[in-house]
Amino acid sequence: MSEKVLSIDKTTVQMLDKAKKDGVETAWDRKEILKASCGFGLAGVCCRNCTMGPCRVSPVPGKGAERGICGATADVIVSRNFARMVAAGAAAHADHGRSIVLELLHTSPDGAIKVKDEKKLKKVASRFGIETEGKDVYDIAHELAQAGLNDFGRQYGSITLPPTVPAKRKETWEKLGIVPRGFDREVVAIMHSTHVGCMADAEEMLRMSMRCALADGWLGSYMATELSDIMFGTPHSRPTEASLGVLEDNQVNIVLHGHEPSLSEMIVQAAEMPEMIELAKSQGADGINLCGMCCTANEATMRHGVKLAGNFMQQELAVITGAVEALVVDVQCIMPALAKLATNYHTKFITTSPKAHITGSTHIEMDEEKPLETAVGIVKEAIMNFKNRDKSKVVIPNVKTKAEVGYSTEEILNKLDGVVNSQIGPMQSAKPLADVIVAGVIRGAAGVVGCNNPKTVHDEGHLEVIKGLIKNDIIVVVTGCAAQAAAKAGLLTKEAKELCGPGLKKVCELVDIPPVLHMGSCVDISRILELVGTTANHLGVDISDLPVVGIAPEYMSEKAISIGTYVVSSGIDTWLGVVPPVTGGPAVVDFLTNKIEEWVGAKFFVEPDPHKTVEQIVERINEKRKKIGI
Amino acid sequence: MNLFQTIFTGSKQALAAAEGIVKQAVDEKGRDCKVAFPDTAYSLPTFYAATGKKVTTVAELEAALDVVRSLIVEEEMLDKALNAGLATAVAAELVEAAKYVLSDAPYAAPCAGFISDPIIRSLGVPLVTGDIPGVAVVLGECPDAETAAKVIKDYQSKGLLTFLVGKVIDQAVEANVKMGLELRVIPLGYDVTSVIHVVTVAIRAALIFGAIKPGNLADLLQYTSERVPAFVNAFGPLSELVVSAGAGAIALGFPVVTDQTVTEVPTLLLTQKDYDKVVKTSLEARKIKIKITEIPIPVAFAAAFEGERIRKND
Ligand code: SF4
Ligand code: SF4
Repeated sequence: MSEKVLSIDKTTVQMLDKAKKDGVETAWDRKEILKASCGFGLAGVCCRNCTMGPCRVSPVPGKGAERGICGATADVIVSRNFARMVAAGAAAHADHGRSIVLELLHTSPDGAIKVKDEKKLKKVASRFGIETEGKDVYDIAHELAQAGLNDFGRQYGSITLPPTVPAKRKETWEKLGIVPRGFDREVVAIMHSTHVGCMADAEEMLRMSMRCALADGWLGSYMATELSDIMFGTPHSRPTEASLGVLEDNQVNIVLHGHEPSLSEMIVQAAEMPEMIELAKSQGADGINLCGMCCTANEATMRHGVKLAGNFMQQELAVITGAVEALVVDVQCIMPALAKLATNYHTKFITTSPKAHITGSTHIEMDEEKPLETAVGIVKEAIMNFKNRDKSKVVIPNVKTKAEVGYSTEEILNKLDGVVNSQIGPMQSAKPLADVIVAGVIRGAAGVVGCNNPKTVHDEGHLEVIKGLIKNDIIVVVTGCAAQAAAKAGLLTKEAKELCGPGLKKVCELVDIPPVLHMGSCVDISRILELVGTTANHLGVDISDLPVVGIAPEYMSEKAISIGTYVVSSGIDTWLGVVPPVTGGPAVVDFLTNKIEEWVGAKFFVEPDPHKTVEQIVERINEKRKKIGI
Repeated sequence: MNLFQTIFTGSKQALAAAEGIVKQAVDEKGRDCKVAFPDTAYSLPTFYAATGKKVTTVAELEAALDVVRSLIVEEEMLDKALNAGLATAVAAELVEAAKYVLSDAPYAAPCAGFISDPIIRSLGVPLVTGDIPGVAVVLGECPDAETAAKVIKDYQSKGLLTFLVGKVIDQAVEANVKMGLELRVIPLGYDVTSVIHVVTVAIRAALIFGAIKPGNLADLLQYTSERVPAFVNAFGPLSELVVSAGAGAIALGFPVVTDQTVTEVPTLLLTQKDYDKVVKTSLEARKIKIKITEIPIPVAFAAAFEGERIRKND
């Protein structure tokens, strides 16, 4: 029997082999064990919102049960399920954003967390109407945090939208009534309206989802990014390495996994302490090797060049190498399977957040008052675990790839300054980017984002889409697990320009950048919004006029659903490589892939084939170019 | 119209113009008539460098039109646009060659027309030493003679070699700009196509000094963009033909700075409406650093004046 290809990443295949030998199970095995998914769930026509149910209605109109016990139709059920996915995704980002805002509230000049980027602090503060002239930096910081918190819990009016939102876009949102009020309120509103006997109109349900998602993109994620930069520094381009091969043979390997940068920042600081390095040496190691997974990795690599061990589907594989002393996690996308898996190796699986306890883990809670001390404690645990490593069980794949990371919006503008003629100017503007797009030297821009999903061949969707796009002179920015796929494949290097079409290649040479720019973690998709909004404003058009697209080739999380929804609502066409559970609701499908365009000038495309995805994108981008005469 | 379409349109116009005049040459002189520019071992230098083939007769001139056709592929990608620009350059060369077929002396003072090999050889050393820090191609028409003179004299004072194409020649004459090879200001001709005579200077520099093998287009373009510090100033309204010729310049690595509103391409195609800044903008775009410090004396002082004779009435 020929084995199905699970991943195009060599280290993954190698580690899956080892998993088999070691007799441990991975997500891929569990997917097998679960057999075919339930067709009702897949189509989104199963409802368990009250105890009269669960109800499952027929995904085929006119056949079988058409309504749930309460009378909810397939479309209503699908739209409610979809809305709850959006709410959950948005809530994850909201809570992430909230804890970052709270950290800013607690910054102090002699605390572990300080204000690192004053310029950005002042910029964001003035956006919130906070006076900055002659004021103490920390007073500004605290005032800003307060303003941010207000928007999270706002009960009246609407959130403070950044000036990056083009006027026309704002008008559209206002007309549709989808300018978010408070962030938490939008999540609560969805939970309310999806309750039995409440909203029973698919289109209205989706409108609410759009409003909630916008609060994610333009407030929750936005604040998380902006304030993380303020406290931990705005990323600048720097080199790093990627792939499971970044684990070191004779070092204490600590893998950071999860999402919030505060944990990783503290651990980076702790691991650099001379006494920690000494301690590691006293245990027979050559040093401490910090690596990252998922979005925490992205945060730490953007700011410190921390190496990228892998993406979502590889988290178990890191443990399976047998070389990880500690797998330190906080929140989101952490497979609970890690707890059991870790017992097969010496790896300490350490949870740190009260928001994500995992049975079977070692819980060392991050003490908000003493974050650095907590981090030191965690690093010590890892070091003291080094002696327990069973060398006979260690296999570290012999693969690592160079990558360049750190492309914040600010860094991109800095790079663009390099091609601005000082006699013409202006500096620090999106004009050069807008110019090459208008001229047609590059055809458009694409954000490739999102997760891994065992329904697709691991990393294949990401890489095929990215390669196809850059070949067609479409510049690509990446975040999340897509970014790591790109990093591992060597696409985040300047040499990757050889894979580009002639225009993009030229631009990479002129600006001295890779064709694929790592813009950070999932919340950093707000950076993409910022860049696109800035470009639209520069050209005096709406975001939906620009030849810009978003793609989530292998997404899996509810966060990705929220992201996709706010990206479309912001006027950017979005391609999904995995079919979302909406196919049982014809009106919902029609809305998301068709009618929504009348509302916001963009829509969803669902296309599991990466090559077809590229074709569709090129076609759509050319259509948009034609429409605005470029 | 988008930039690439403008370029394609201009290239097709250039092709049509070349077809027209070549037909005239066929009709008036016959296909066996000899074709040659004066004093050159490189036949039609652009065509020769690009294809490795020499054009010696009107029949071959006619056949060369196919190369132009093959270079125009109307697909909106940068390489295709640059190739279309090169097509315009080749077409311009065919037009100019036909002029030399149809007339023994198609150019008269002050216009130089084709630049001979000996002159290029004489320019080689100062170009290599940086004594000539750059080559400016000033094309079109300035708002007035004074502006034209100011820009040209500025280049002159910095030791650049400046070629003039179009109405700007008259403006330079009107404003009393001193011209001539020794003064490093060379009026080429009034038709846009005469700009090819400076292009062939760059191309022959690559063949002579860079020992680029004729027919090796990629090496040729690399040499000109790395070693020939030329750039273009296009003044006044830009026709599609001029824009597409500009694409040819960009293909050779020469940035284009214009006073018109165009679809800009960073470092390659720039709009500078402030005439006082045109020179600085251009030098920066071509990364030209002036070696000699400007000496604050009332008359422009530079190597370009070395050959100047002081006439009695001056
Ligand atoms: S809310 Fe309606 S459809 Fe859902 S479980 Fe209850 S009765 Fe069934
Ligand atoms: S991209 Fe998806 S899997 Fe990866 S960290 Fe983000 S939400 Fe999780």
